[in-house]
Amino acid sequence: MNLMETLLVDRPEQTFFDDPALDRTFGVVMALATEVYVQRDRLRALERQLQEASILNIDNLNGEPSDAERQANAIDREQFVEGLLINLLGKQQAKGAI
Amino acid sequence: MDDRSFAAAQDFLLASKTFWTKEIFPELRRTYADAARNSAKPPTNPEEVENLLQDNTLYQYFSWLERHLQRFKYSGRYGLIPYHDERREELSPQLRNTGAELSSDLEMPVYYRRFDIHQHPGGVWSDELDGFVYKRGARSTTPLMGASHADLHQRFTNLVAAQENAEHISDILDMGCGFGKSTHPFAQGFPSARIEAIDLSAPCVTLGARDAQERGEDNIKFRQMNAYETVYDDDSFDLVTSTMLIHEMPPSEIGRLFDESVRVLRPGGRIAHLDFYAIDGPFARFIHYGHGRRNNEPFMQPWAELDVVEALSNRGFANIEIIPFQEAEGVNPGDHQAWRFPWTVIHAEKPAAV
Repeated sequence: MNLMETLLVDRPEQTFFDDPALDRTFGVVMALATEVYVQRDRLRALERQLQEASILNIDNLNGEPSDAERQANAIDREQFVEGLLINLLGKQQAKGAI
Repeated sequence: MDDRSFAAAQDFLLASKTFWTKEIFPELRRTYADAARNSAKPPTNPEEVENLLQDNTLYQYFSWLERHLQRFKYSGRYGLIPYHDERREELSPQLRNTGAELSSDLEMPVYYRRFDIHQHPGGVWSDELDGFVYKRGARSTTPLMGASHADLHQRFTNLVAAQENAEHISDILDMGCGFGKSTHPFAQGFPSARIEAIDLSAPCVTLGARDAQERGEDNIKFRQMNAYETVYDDDSFDLVTSTMLIHEMPPSEIGRLFDESVRVLRPGGRIAHLDFYAIDGPFARFIHYGHGRRNNEPFMQPWAELDVVEALSNRGFANIEIIPFQEAEGVNPGDHQAWRFPWTVIHAEKPAAV
């Protein structure tokens, strides 16, 4: 897909920050925030519908998870954090010589 | 995209715009007031305000959000354009046999083609679904008013109806009617009047005609037409009105619109235009002009700087009034904390002697 033909036109966007990189980065942040809200809205609708169908006990869902449940999620949580924050280390992940 | 995801995303964008309106803007105004107070020479014009604010971080975020929340609204992953485009097969048939009179050989003015106003890709006229897009988008143009503009348009109609001798209005011309949101309250407020609703956009007048047809409003005729080059005879109307039209036009075309208004009005007829005009102070002017740039509405500034009293006087209008307009309950046009448009009614009469 050629974005220039579908979503974009070949004109520079207005910039407002001292560094135009921030203009673009904040665009990514707001796009992600929109996506997060869409997912949040969908999840709440799903919970509501499951509860209305007596499939879900919302109090159980809202309650603090047990230590066992937390432990069961630990590996997934660690992998999520690692994938997020590894970017801050400033190191290559490719193995070849520079 | 599914309807729920679209609605959720648009609600999120509107909530963000509301935060911008009610929280970020007042904080920016406080920031400006402090800076102006501490300045050796407080700003007296928009350029001097810009010099004071252009490096301010809050102002930069304010500007970014104003431009890009609008971009997301139209063109983002959950934007109005892709949403309606995916529903083309369902929506297109609704625009057939509406009774709108279209003019396929009408040439779109250069100024109209040159800018995608409101950041609406392709403008509000180039795709058959543009009326639907504009109508859905209008729900979140002014966050202070929530999901409906009804209050605003009804208030304007009420103001016109309260003018002296308004009960004698029998022929109304609504210029730049869009999809008929301004026209509908006039049809209800003046049920015995004949209303001509005109706009350059074929998609908009078509949708307006469909909606009027569904409401059973048979006193409105929607036609695709240029407001400053109409086909009507001299002395045809008692009222020429528009809502949010003039600020989209260059000064020369505005002059032609006033010329056309005086031509088609009967002696004793009046104009009533609801637009953005009366702006108090350099900060408000700076914010408004910036809005014009950020929202692809380049003629907001020249319109706001036009001496409208002189322009109307030169064409023979009398009893010219520039009236700050309260667009919603609880809004004080003279001192409102949240961001708002400088709503203004321009009202004037064509004397019997012209």
